[in-house]
Amino acid sequence: MLELAYTNKELMAACCAREIKDGEVVIVGIGMPMMGGHIASRTHAKNAIFVYEAGGVSPVSRRIPWSVGDTPAGEKATAIMEMWRMLSDCQAGFIHRGCLGGAQIDKYGNLNTTCIIGDQSYDTPKVKLPGSGGGNDIGSSCPEITIVMSLSRRKFVKKVDYITTVGHLTGPGSREAAGLLGKGPTSVITDKCIFRFDKNTKEMYLDALFPDATVEEVKSLVEWDLKVAPQVSQVEPPTQEQLEIIRTLDPKGLVLGAKIPLDDFEEFAQMYESSYREMKIYIED
Amino acid sequence: MKTLKDKQTSMGEAVRKYCPDGSTFAISGMGAREPFAALFEIIRQGKKDLTFVSNGVSDAGCLILGSGCVKKFEGGYAGIILVGSDSNVRRAREKGIPIKLELEEYTNYTSGLRFLAGSMKLPYMPTKSLLGSDIIKHNPRIKVVDDPYGSGPLALVPASNPDVSFMHVQRADVSGNGQIFNAMIDDNTIARASKHVVLICEEIVSTGEIRKNSHMTAIPSYCVDAVVHAPFAGYPLWCAGYYCCDMPWRSYYARVSKTQEGYEQYIKEWVLDTISWDGFLDKVGRDRLERLVKMERDNYTIPVL
Repeated sequence: MLELAYTNKELMAACCAREIKDGEVVIVGIGMPMMGGHIASRTHAKNAIFVYEAGGVSPVSRRIPWSVGDTPAGEKATAIMEMWRMLSDCQAGFIHRGCLGGAQIDKYGNLNTTCIIGDQSYDTPKVKLPGSGGGNDIGSSCPEITIVMSLSRRKFVKKVDYITTVGHLTGPGSREAAGLLGKGPTSVITDKCIFRFDKNTKEMYLDALFPDATVEEVKSLVEWDLKVAPQVSQVEPPTQEQLEIIRTLDPKGLVLGAKIPLDDFEEFAQMYESSYREMKIYIED
Repeated sequence: MKTLKDKQTSMGEAVRKYCPDGSTFAISGMGAREPFAALFEIIRQGKKDLTFVSNGVSDAGCLILGSGCVKKFEGGYAGIILVGSDSNVRRAREKGIPIKLELEEYTNYTSGLRFLAGSMKLPYMPTKSLLGSDIIKHNPRIKVVDDPYGSGPLALVPASNPDVSFMHVQRADVSGNGQIFNAMIDDNTIARASKHVVLICEEIVSTGEIRKNSHMTAIPSYCVDAVVHAPFAGYPLWCAGYYCCDMPWRSYYARVSKTQEGYEQYIKEWVLDTISWDGFLDKVGRDRLERLVKMERDNYTIPVL
């Protein structure tokens, strides 16, 4: 095993940041995409504008938001608008990129966040999931969609149980025929690799591997017969600067998905108060 | 009368008057300003056959969805952010415990459009969202039509006009001019779409104070039927400028509600036996609440103009 000075979650966040181009307007959800946004906005994409579905535009958060309702998601924002308005700005074409996740994905990048049906039915599902949220809306209309989810055979399936957010639907021309405005997903960032979509067939293929992953391993974690790029590149490790940003913003790994028991009130209050001290170096006016 | 000068009442009275069995209701916020105080009262009064219409909801919405009071959810999202998936909603949907939860699913945007149509007394709103998805297949109330003006397929979502909405805001005057600080979500629109509005505020201020920050008045008094002064009405979630969320409490609730017995025990101990919202807050502990106020107010307060 390769000894790594970073976790694959941290590399995922760095990859997410690299997808974002300078000058873009990006709608980010809480968690990994938001961390990607924070990295990008402090490194190569200082002119990008980050917005949250809950309404905050370009907030200057002194602590990384833990939830859509967390006050810093609107802190020193240049604007705060209604949620329907923020999502209609996606439909109107103001927002260039969206970052989405899901419980299931197929080779066309169709996403399921509604329910795992298994051998049951929509009305009596095996697992009820939270639902679309703004996922369907963002995926329907934003020109560029970055998908972020961990790689497993349970998630990368031949057929999703339910299409919550349309990817490339059934292949070339199908999104347009359905009447959708956006162009569909462009990349899928996982904890092992990066997938992209073939320009002609619209099918997902393996484009780049994380340093500790192999083609065989990735293929074994995908339920369909995965296409592989003729030249699979290797993903660059996160830079020192990217790692510093991640670890300063999220010292306990909470935002990147660590299950931290937050049961003790005093411990929680102290963590909250110290998070403002730790982030001080990032405060700007 | 929506023109009364003083509309203050108690939560018990507001719920009794405006939310009879069979009502359709909505709530404010998303992850913050979700009115726990009103939902606890709905559970205490043992309401039945309610329909809950929302855009996206977190803890408070999930708490009521599997309580047995609600038979149907129309909305875009119901889940407990960061803490984990909501066991209560899952049981109601997957196993019909305590009663089967019917779903009419939309998205956060298209739920907002339903309220927007409702607020303008229009029958529906068209959108380019939803097209091609299975949301349309499982929700017959969404119609796909050809745009008569030639832009291609359109999805139409029906207007929503809830019988009552429980709107939690930071501050209000006694006539119900409600001011929101930080994210408004769709609350200005939901209030206008609702037949009755119960405005729940952290603080009662004078109309003069309202006038100083008039841009913050999301809900004008002419939409509002009742004003309930209920500090910490959004605990244990956030209320910007007033208190921070109580993560350990959310984590405790998520843990105990994993089983139906645990959920019922929580409802008995913290909702029914505490008698009132103030009783609940006393039992949680005033020191704990004051600490959450300090944590928030050290960092965020409503700016004084």
